[in-house]
Amino acid sequence: MQRVVVFGGGVAAAMAALAVGRAYARLGTDVTWIDTGEAPAPHAALIAPPDLATFHRLLGIDEAALVRHAAATVNMGQQFAGWSGGDHAFLHAYGDAGSPFASLPFVQHWTRARQAGLGVALEDFCLAAAAAKQGRTGAPREAATRQAVKQGWHLDAARYAKLLRAACKRADVRIVSCTSAAVRTGGDRIGRIVLADGAPVDADLFIDTHGALVASLDPDATSERPGFCDRIIRASAPAFDPLPLYSRVAAHAAGWLTLIPLSGRTAIEFAYDSKTLSDADAPAALATVLGRSVDTAPPAPLANSARARAWVGNVVAVGPAAGAAPPLDGAELLLLQLGIAQMVLLWPIDRAAMVEADIYNEELAGTRARVADFTAQHFRLNARIGEPFWDDARTTPISAELASKIDLFAARGMFAHFNHEAHVEDSWALVMAGHGVTPRSFDPQALLTEDQALMTEFQRQLRAVASDVHAMETHVDALRRMRG
Amino acid sequence: MGDRFELVIVGGGTAGWMCAAACAAKLDPVRFRVRLVESEEIGTVGVGEATLPQMKDFNDFLGLDEVEFMKATQASFKLGIEFVNWGCEGDRYIHPFGTFGRPIGEADFFSYWIRANRAGTAAPLFDYCFPIVTALQNRFMLPVGDGNDVRSAFAYAYHLDAFLYARYLRGWAEARGIERVEGRIVEVEQDNESGDIAAVKLASGTHVAGDMFVDCSGFRSLLLGQTLGVEIEDWSHWLPCDSAQAVPSVRSADFTPYTRSTRRTAGWQWRIPLQHRTGNGYVYSSADISDDEAAATLLANLDGEALADPRVLRFKAGKREQAWAKNCVGMGLAGGFLEPLESTSIYLVQMAIMHMLTLMPSERATDPALPSEFNRVMDVEYDRIRDFLILHYVANEADAPLWERVTAIDLPDTLAGKIERFRHRGYIEAYRDGLFGPPSWQAVFVGQGVEPAAADRLADVLPAATVNERLANLAATIADAAATLPSHADFIARYCPAPAP
Repeated sequence: MQRVVVFGGGVAAAMAALAVGRAYARLGTDVTWIDTGEAPAPHAALIAPPDLATFHRLLGIDEAALVRHAAATVNMGQQFAGWSGGDHAFLHAYGDAGSPFASLPFVQHWTRARQAGLGVALEDFCLAAAAAKQGRTGAPREAATRQAVKQGWHLDAARYAKLLRAACKRADVRIVSCTSAAVRTGGDRIGRIVLADGAPVDADLFIDTHGALVASLDPDATSERPGFCDRIIRASAPAFDPLPLYSRVAAHAAGWLTLIPLSGRTAIEFAYDSKTLSDADAPAALATVLGRSVDTAPPAPLANSARARAWVGNVVAVGPAAGAAPPLDGAELLLLQLGIAQMVLLWPIDRAAMVEADIYNEELAGTRARVADFTAQHFRLNARIGEPFWDDARTTPISAELASKIDLFAARGMFAHFNHEAHVEDSWALVMAGHGVTPRSFDPQALLTEDQALMTEFQRQLRAVASDVHAMETHVDALRRMRG
Repeated sequence: MGDRFELVIVGGGTAGWMCAAACAAKLDPVRFRVRLVESEEIGTVGVGEATLPQMKDFNDFLGLDEVEFMKATQASFKLGIEFVNWGCEGDRYIHPFGTFGRPIGEADFFSYWIRANRAGTAAPLFDYCFPIVTALQNRFMLPVGDGNDVRSAFAYAYHLDAFLYARYLRGWAEARGIERVEGRIVEVEQDNESGDIAAVKLASGTHVAGDMFVDCSGFRSLLLGQTLGVEIEDWSHWLPCDSAQAVPSVRSADFTPYTRSTRRTAGWQWRIPLQHRTGNGYVYSSADISDDEAAATLLANLDGEALADPRVLRFKAGKREQAWAKNCVGMGLAGGFLEPLESTSIYLVQMAIMHMLTLMPSERATDPALPSEFNRVMDVEYDRIRDFLILHYVANEADAPLWERVTAIDLPDTLAGKIERFRHRGYIEAYRDGLFGPPSWQAVFVGQGVEPAAADRLADVLPAATVNERLANLAATIADAAATLPSHADFIARYCPAPAP
């Protein structure tokens, strides 16, 4: 692949160009990014799961740059509020759901204790959750729990896109701005792009985040999936003080409201179902929930369609061109990152016959399905009984794989694993337990632990969590240290 | 919970006693009563058995002492399987219990090897694997603890007498409260309404009732197949061997820390070295050779005097459509059969036991999610092994009628495409559950002559000289380390010598 073109704008195009440039410019690959100018929507923020922190190392993006230039704050999880009706909230933290002991996952012992009347929630045994709720982050030295605490980011989308664009320039990516271009196809491939000024751009491989290239080869290959909400209002409010370490997703009669803490502002996303709430009424509904009016952009559509095949001929559709991501759980950046990383790994060998396309499409379809399952569980497990939007959401069909996962967890606190899983077991456990699923039975091997020994171990773990939290740094200290 | 949950294991071969021992170790006797029904009239299918490294995990899970276990079962060590005549007549390679190479740069080791191999600057892949180099010199030592030492980079399994293993576990399990019931089963009683197994009736008239039954009755699959009518999913169109002859021979001087599988006209021959004898067998397709001719071939290809007449076994490749139906779990031969080409029999029993323990119902009314998950994960295990076995068959010269047929079969969907993708760029799908990760596929592909035409492009980032230097250093480090090890025979004699049987 001597010549590669990235076609599109915003975060997706910049991230793809940067990843490819850093991986293959060393081998003489010429990377041209035709920047079609799409920028993130006004007010938009991104929830980056911990996986992105690892990916940033490959991209050469350090935490100081994010804190300085992308309004970044630390993301230790997502809080879900009101999904069971009432005020109940739980935290999906990125970490271990308790520490395993007696050779069994913690959730087995927890299930047994719940059946015996224990009132303590699973997340109370999770160091990451306890720390996030108390405004503490980082890794404790000499940890008492030995639990993993993983951190992602909250990012200002427009500023993050700019940061990635600047990194592209440093990585010798040639950037050409062009809002319209003509595509020349030959058979099942793209041969050439002709820019608005008539300049031709040839390439062996085209990476399309815009959508026009892949659509020219594969016009009708998108399908809708249940998206629950079809409209979104983005807004901003003053920053919280102190800055939370997690975003909050509050259920609403017509959808949900996400609050994402950034340095300098709180980003707001209000997603709603236009059958339940009209565009005319939505801004007022948002102001009611917030108890004040905020700086708001007009309602915009929320896309829900995806392509069956992301890689067609010599075009790889990435990010929005491959399909809309599920609207929660940081799925947008997660899928973008996985799509780009997989493409870098499967970098085609032969420009004439890209056997890699089939592998890539299988991998990405599987990953997309599993990521969609993770988000779909929130809707399937919601307990806002009697509200039409939520009653519909609860009965919307789910994949066979998600049905097995929910059934097995509800029966035994275990996990049905499939290929292409993108979330770890403990994330599933924290979310399903958070939505109110307490397993009906547990692994009988748990009974080898005596009742008294179990209580002692639980107390030990709760003390260890408390002492580890105490040894961690505050969010503001962490950001100051990272800023350098 | 009121009375104890009653678990009845039917059949006392390797599968039955492994299951009983695991129950003794891991189920609370206050809540579970576990009985095993077996008859001394019924023989078990105990031949010299080769295993996988997971067996050590199982023994550790029980808490067995390795030395005591090895002495009791005439066990020797196993670092992999040598395949002779597979691919082409005269070829040989080892499928090891370990990975190839060590990290060199951003790409995986195998990609660097492809690159250097295509440039003509690499040694054979197998020279970059410590357990292979060691095995070929008939040396052995337990892995050292230091992760930076190449002598830590492998796992090991055992060759053992499966009959003695069952006997050893019987003593172990009975000492820990498992009740053994002697008797031949003459009738299986089912609940009229649910169809569940209610009890087995013995020739003596005794009823052994239970809440849940484990069928370890071998090929006849008394409960799962005969009583509950769970059919076999027939895989013999992919794996046509349907017979075997087994014979022990005296221990030979060539005391290998590996199993040997030699491809023959109508199938393949195994060789499994135990401490005081060698287990041998010929697995064949009865459409391609007569029993007498197979026996003669086997006896003509021993490296020691035969100690008995060859014994014939019949089977069909496949698995039961559900391994858990009603209140009955089938394991071992009662649940399915795959030829022992990759030593997977005991592994499959072990997986069934581990999954059954974690999914054991807590009351008589079984939550349907439990058997559903059990069957799903066991299907994954069987499918993965099946595809890997088929790969051994298809990647061969078509040099005899059997081999003409198997190299031209329609592959299962899950295998089709894998071979083409490997040839294109050495791509192997990695999966989370089930046996045989990328190093195993690499070994068999390369060993049987399927070589990639290109490597991951990331492997091109390092200069060729750097790659060649690192490859050469690694091969030298492995060769030097291997030379420090004692012989397999000496190590066994010192570590775990078994008395002559």
